[in-house]
Amino acid sequence: MPVPLPLDQPRPLVFLAAFATGGLLTLMVHFNGELARYGNPLFSSWTAHGTGTVAAIVFLGLLYRRGRITSGERPPAPLWAYLGGISGAATVMLTSTAVNSPLALAGTLALGLSGQAIFSLAADQWGLFGLAKRRLTGRNLAALALILGGSALIILEGRIPA
Amino acid sequence: MTLAILLACSAGILIGISRQINGRLSLSTSPLIASFWNHLIGFSFLTVLSLGVGDLLPTGVGQVPWYDFLGGPVGVVFVAAGSWVIARIGAVNTALMMIGGQMVSGVVLDLALSVPTALGPTTIGVVLVLAGIALSQGKRTQGKRRAETTPRP
Repeated sequence: MPVPLPLDQPRPLVFLAAFATGGLLTLMVHFNGELARYGNPLFSSWTAHGTGTVAAIVFLGLLYRRGRITSGERPPAPLWAYLGGISGAATVMLTSTAVNSPLALAGTLALGLSGQAIFSLAADQWGLFGLAKRRLTGRNLAALALILGGSALIILEGRIPA
Repeated sequence: MTLAILLACSAGILIGISRQINGRLSLSTSPLIASFWNHLIGFSFLTVLSLGVGDLLPTGVGQVPWYDFLGGPVGVVFVAAGSWVIARIGAVNTALMMIGGQMVSGVVLDLALSVPTALGPTTIGVVLVLAGIALSQGKRTQGKRRAETTPRP
């Protein structure tokens, strides 16, 4: 079975998948937050990465047995492409420090989302880390303003302090 | 306070960097393999770090209910999906859709768990987020098909 080229998927489906993935993030943050209550943020992240590694091996094994792993003739990845996990793991240290500052959870979340959005603009503009360049449009910026504005409302005004 | 603001923003940037790097790896391997490396490398890095700090297994570990360990497996799917998506719709669209999905599902989870929520601002916030998502669904940019499928070194 040929591997479909990325853009052969209908675009709205990919957007929907990305949106649903955001829901997965909520679940993940919830579970890992519960885990951190029993220990600390470092323990929570360490455990999640450990169980995640095992789960990834199991998933890969299942795909392999069903013959779904294709070894195409793709160009090899540079060595640094294997190091994304360090960046992800370091995030935990920064957020757990920021959460314990006057910013608290809400401020940390809101600023984190802004940092993420601003970085994504730079990433598309210059095609950072070997992904394709994409021209930014006014539509992108307007969507960004709406989503960040809405998120700020939900995070900063939506929670009633207990 | 300035330092805290800087840390919180940097955390968001690091999330973007790891998504970008994992997306690049998935172009040469597969999203699931990229997710595997992300977790293995992250686990090794955190193990070294924890051994340095010396607080790896806190005393409360025995009482953790099994389902709280599901964050890891969910994370594997999350990273794989992120790597798959970012190669197809780019960093901005990926970030915006995921933020939107996280916000809306977060509100739903809070309501389900009866977390006290201010309904006014929350409703307006959700409407704004959904409007932004609808806006992102505009006409696709032309002439990018080749560029997006070919990884650069």
